Amino acid sequence: MARIKILQIIIFCAFLIIILRLAYWQFFSSFKKENESILRESEIPASRGQIHAADGFPLAANEEAFLLYGKPHEINKSSQEIAKELAPLLISEKYATLSAQISEDLIKQKDEAIKNEEEELLNKLNNKNLYWVQLARKVPSQVKGKIQELAIAGLGFERDEKRFYPEASMAAQLLGFMGFDKFGRDVGYNGIEGYWDSHLRGKNGRLGQEQDPFGLPILVGKYKPIPPKQGDSLYLSIDRTVQFIAEDKLKKAVEKYGAKDGTVIVAEPATGHILAMATYPNFNPALRSEFEEKLYRNPAVSDTFEPGSIFKLITMSAALDLSQVEPNTRCPCTGPVTIDGYEISTWNKKYHPNSTMTEIIQNSDNVGMTYVAEKLGVDKFYDYIAKFGFGKLTGIDLQSEAGGNIRAKQEWRNIDLATASFGQGIAVTPIQMVQSVSAIANGGKLVPMRLVVEIGEDEHKERVKSQGSKQVISAKTASRITEMMVNAVRKGEARFFAPKGYRIAGKTGTAQIPVAGHYDPNKTIASFIGFAPADDPKFVMMVRFSQPSSSPFGSETAAPTFFEIAKELFNYYSILSSE
Amino acid sequence: MKDFRIVKNKNNSFNLIGKIKVKVVLAIAILVISLFFTQLVFANGLSTGGLRLAEIEDDIKKLEAENRILKNQIANESSLATLSAEAGDLGFKNYLQATTP
Repeated sequence: MARIKILQIIIFCAFLIIILRLAYWQFFSSFKKENESILRESEIPASRGQIHAADGFPLAANEEAFLLYGKPHEINKSSQEIAKELAPLLISEKYATLSAQISEDLIKQKDEAIKNEEEELLNKLNNKNLYWVQLARKVPSQVKGKIQELAIAGLGFERDEKRFYPEASMAAQLLGFMGFDKFGRDVGYNGIEGYWDSHLRGKNGRLGQEQDPFGLPILVGKYKPIPPKQGDSLYLSIDRTVQFIAEDKLKKAVEKYGAKDGTVIVAEPATGHILAMATYPNFNPALRSEFEEKLYRNPAVSDTFEPGSIFKLITMSAALDLSQVEPNTRCPCTGPVTIDGYEISTWNKKYHPNSTMTEIIQNSDNVGMTYVAEKLGVDKFYDYIAKFGFGKLTGIDLQSEAGGNIRAKQEWRNIDLATASFGQGIAVTPIQMVQSVSAIANGGKLVPMRLVVEIGEDEHKERVKSQGSKQVISAKTASRITEMMVNAVRKGEARFFAPKGYRIAGKTGTAQIPVAGHYDPNKTIASFIGFAPADDPKFVMMVRFSQPSSSPFGSETAAPTFFEIAKELFNYYSILSSE
Repeated sequence: MKDFRIVKNKNNSFNLIGKIKVKVVLAIAILVISLFFTQLVFANGLSTGGLRLAEIEDDIKKLEAENRILKNQIANESSLATLSAEAGDLGFKNYLQATTP
């Protein structure tokens, strides 16, 4: 009997020990860590969707980065010491990629940057009232490794992501860039990142997970994770090779002609797909803060300018479409004309009496265009300007698009009609010009320009529906104006630069820049717009330079650049020369 | 005689009920004990499962991070900027600059 009792006591004691131990694990040990809740509610960040070129190559991908934080009350080193150790690691990545032989200026800049970073870190670390303070964001993995090697207590990392650009500055203005909103969350600005931000950002998930005192998940606990929804990836119509060619040639041309900046747009007329959109000078989006803010803008869609002679194509298209003139209609064009007290002359003061309409385009004759505009009248001309999409947004899927500036019809006087006929006194954007000339290349059918072709991942990709196209001029008119453009390339000012054996349709433009109520006599915008091959256009392209200093004329700056790029494109698309 | 039989019957029915009760109690006890041990076995498995799950999650994160680094490295190395620079270093020229004898 006594032995049974002893056994009972032993069993009772064993159970008591187990219960006490369980109670310790369940309650007391977790109470020690006052601020660590057993139920951990945390946000699972969603990866941002990638941006791909037409061949699937990523133009904007993601890489692992970290948020560096400090817990001032847990730090056991002096703030000065920590700031000194961390500052050289947290300055701009620009200094990390510099070679050993850097200029004295850059060494000074680097020292200055380290000093500023040190001060900033000190301010944050000295505030002992803070339980948690953010020290840096988007810290790369390599830097994280270096900081961890310093083994500083009280510092920690939270996983994050940042953009990675395999092609560096390629299509920078078109892609846009990443920044933070007022809550410190990632948000896309400008270009594709800005326009498609809601699709790219995805949806963060939540992790509601019960954990044991060691931080491990309790599988029998309430486990209610909401998985994050990754942002949609975008597949653009941008052809990486065409973009590369355009950027390379543009950079060389801007430097050669001493232009303030330059823009090239290449598009496919039949689909409205943008194949390349290049701007120089550009910026590296990974080191965005190192560049001037004005470079973030995409002039291809945001800049409004007076188009000059390239707009003659629109005026002539309208007149031909309404049968106000025929290609062989002759203009007296004997000399300058005066309208409302203003004298209209040709760009070179040479006059070509009895010019045909084809010759007016060939000679880029302002007096001849005034003759055409008079035949059209304000109402009809204005209607065609609107039909071609000027004065309103093209709707291209890029943030910060400008709509241009066409004055209300009632405000047009005779002089406005005359100057508008050769592209002065109206403001358009490069993308509007490309869209309208693309309509000429496309048999008179205007197809809205766009960049994103597909959205989604792998098998779940969805094609983006295109906006409806519309016939703005007849196919016959388109064919006639095309022949005029081909003639302008063959016999116009830029004929020496055109590659032989190809039928290229094009038109030069040299527009004066309005400054404080008058036109600056020395500053111009030089441009060339056209398409090729003229009979079955594979691409429509516009080249535009702001204030070229070597020559103010489009025929000597933009046209040679257009033909340089076109030669490369003929090779790329295997378009053979007839010679 | 009659009274004795009654008493005997009462004794018999009491014994019968008692026997059934003991069997039921015994079966329930065995069931409870076996369930208790089963739960212990499962709980034991699950207690280490949390650790295993954490390890697997860590492994997944590590592999995903490595995968992403490799993908980015491939993209970087196969970018047109890199290829063009390397082609230039190796002496390749643009076809428009090529001269044929």
